[in-house]
Amino acid sequence: MSEQVDEATATARDRVLTALDHREPDRIPVDFGGTPVTGIHVSVVAALRDHYGLESRLVKVHEPYQMLGTIDEDLAEALGVDVQGVTGRETMFGFRNDAWKPWTMPHGLEVLMSADFAATVDERGDTLVYPKGNRSAPPSGRMPKTGFFFDTIVRQEPIDEDRLDPADNLEEYSLVTDADLDDLDHDLAAAEATGRAVIGVLPGMALGDIAFVPAPGLEHPRGIRDITEWYISLKKRPEYVRRVFSAQVDVALENLERIHQRVADRFDAVMICGTDFGTQTSAFCSVETFEDLWSPHYTRINDWIHDHTTWKTFKHSCGSVERFMRSFIDCGFDIINPVQCSAADMAAEHLKREYGRDLVFWGGGVDTQHTLPFGTPAEVREEVLNRCEVFGAGGGFVFNTIHNIQANTPVENVVAMLDAVRDFAGPR
Amino acid sequence: MSLLDELHEAVVTGDDELTAELTRQGIDDGYEPQALIDDAMIPAMAEAGRRFEAEEYFVPELLVAGRAIQAGLEMLRPLLAPGTSRTAGRVVIGTVEGDLHDIGKNLVAVMFEGAGFDVVDLGTDVAPAEVVAAVAEHHPDLVALSALLTTTMLAMPATIDAIEAAGLRDQVTVLVGGAPLNQARAEEFGADGYADNANAAVRLALELVAPR
Repeated sequence: MSEQVDEATATARDRVLTALDHREPDRIPVDFGGTPVTGIHVSVVAALRDHYGLESRLVKVHEPYQMLGTIDEDLAEALGVDVQGVTGRETMFGFRNDAWKPWTMPHGLEVLMSADFAATVDERGDTLVYPKGNRSAPPSGRMPKTGFFFDTIVRQEPIDEDRLDPADNLEEYSLVTDADLDDLDHDLAAAEATGRAVIGVLPGMALGDIAFVPAPGLEHPRGIRDITEWYISLKKRPEYVRRVFSAQVDVALENLERIHQRVADRFDAVMICGTDFGTQTSAFCSVETFEDLWSPHYTRINDWIHDHTTWKTFKHSCGSVERFMRSFIDCGFDIINPVQCSAADMAAEHLKREYGRDLVFWGGGVDTQHTLPFGTPAEVREEVLNRCEVFGAGGGFVFNTIHNIQANTPVENVVAMLDAVRDFAGPR
Repeated sequence: MSLLDELHEAVVTGDDELTAELTRQGIDDGYEPQALIDDAMIPAMAEAGRRFEAEEYFVPELLVAGRAIQAGLEMLRPLLAPGTSRTAGRVVIGTVEGDLHDIGKNLVAVMFEGAGFDVVDLGTDVAPAEVVAAVAEHHPDLVALSALLTTTMLAMPATIDAIEAAGLRDQVTVLVGGAPLNQARAEEFGADGYADNANAAVRLALELVAPR
């Protein structure tokens, strides 16, 4: 710990910046709630509030697709988080989080949803959600009656190969307005006031993320919106995909310029894209396909940011992505998440040794498929201490679970995880 | 290259238009429809599955191969004499209750179909009672259940219990798969088999089920 930050004076933000700079901070920095991929299911947020004896209140769902709960300041302090997110006000379903109203989830928990959240219950008992809160449009999301999350409803018009127009897959990408920038400025100021590091979730930069391909925020999407058809397009219509990505990045770069003019270097990191390239045991596409279809566009985004700002760039991809790590680095990404160590070829020691000089691991702290939901508190503690030891060596690690903490995760396991991060005091 | 070889290649490389064209040519040239299936299409899909498991192919390549074989099978099925076609078995497949994810389930269904199984696809969010009803109606050899979420995979033992409660458990082999599953969990759930990819699922099914 030769370059250790002085423990007495380190702020949350210092701690994160030190880690992002690949130096060891006074302790491992922690993120929960900074991004839509490092959050906590609303039911677990509610359980944690109860556990810590915090004021009884309904929890806001800031991200309705995955039903992520807002971590208010009192809970953030109890959890010891070092990162504050600026996630934008528009949700995946095209309505905004400006005001709130109560809603009871199918399993009975009462939460707060956007005042513009419009839902109906179908004959199966499933909850349907409508794009932009417009019930005259076809629903774009469904929560099964036994479910805890929404998933997109694919609304695919018949595809006429001769009339396919990339512009149809670009309808959801537009330039940020002055009003959007005012909101951003306001939310960013509030985030800065917490003293934590600030991560911004930038709009419209996810390239071919299958959560967004069906355009759950549009009332009547056109183009290729079916997920299987999208994957087929990577093979059958690569030029179409190239043109969509290219035009999308044109808009993204103009937005980056506008956003940077307004906020300058007040972001410490920015989340760019959550497109998943890994499955549990393999990959969604080959490295060659990635290099052909994605690399040039990711490179344009990262180059612009690194040429004009001090922001670190954050890439999320679930699954077995060891084969893509060198490409992610070459495209200019600084941070990788969620670091799914349970997937093939993703052992923590290997990733840290091979890529730890170039990438910050933001995640990888504990397995949310097995250990955290189904293990014992002692098993959780052991895994967390091990990951802190491996990933934390020399900095370059922000603690987060491997993806969002899922519904039905026992609160005592979450507490065991947080205690372990707090107790970690260097290699054992 | 013979027509069968060309048809094989068209399916492996996922060229659905060429597959349809060669299938039409094969019919016109007097090939038995079953021979086009058994000697070109099924081996082609097996090769695509092998490449998928060997990580020479990925999701897009397997999907286009599946689309190609579909193009051929759609033309040939009406020509097969009723009761004379051979199948590797019948499988009822679905994503379990509460889970809407179907990419993995669809890949497994494509591979089953490509291996010559009759596939009854129940879709996603399939309640245990729906699986039981499908088993009673279709008399499958196999039930294949998929789940992506940790919160929904527990519907797998519930579904297997429902099949048991209906007195149908000894009539079917139950396979499970999906991101949060592994062999130990499959055994704990009472399944007969687990596979971690679509090709392995079909290989396992072929080991466990006698052809009809």
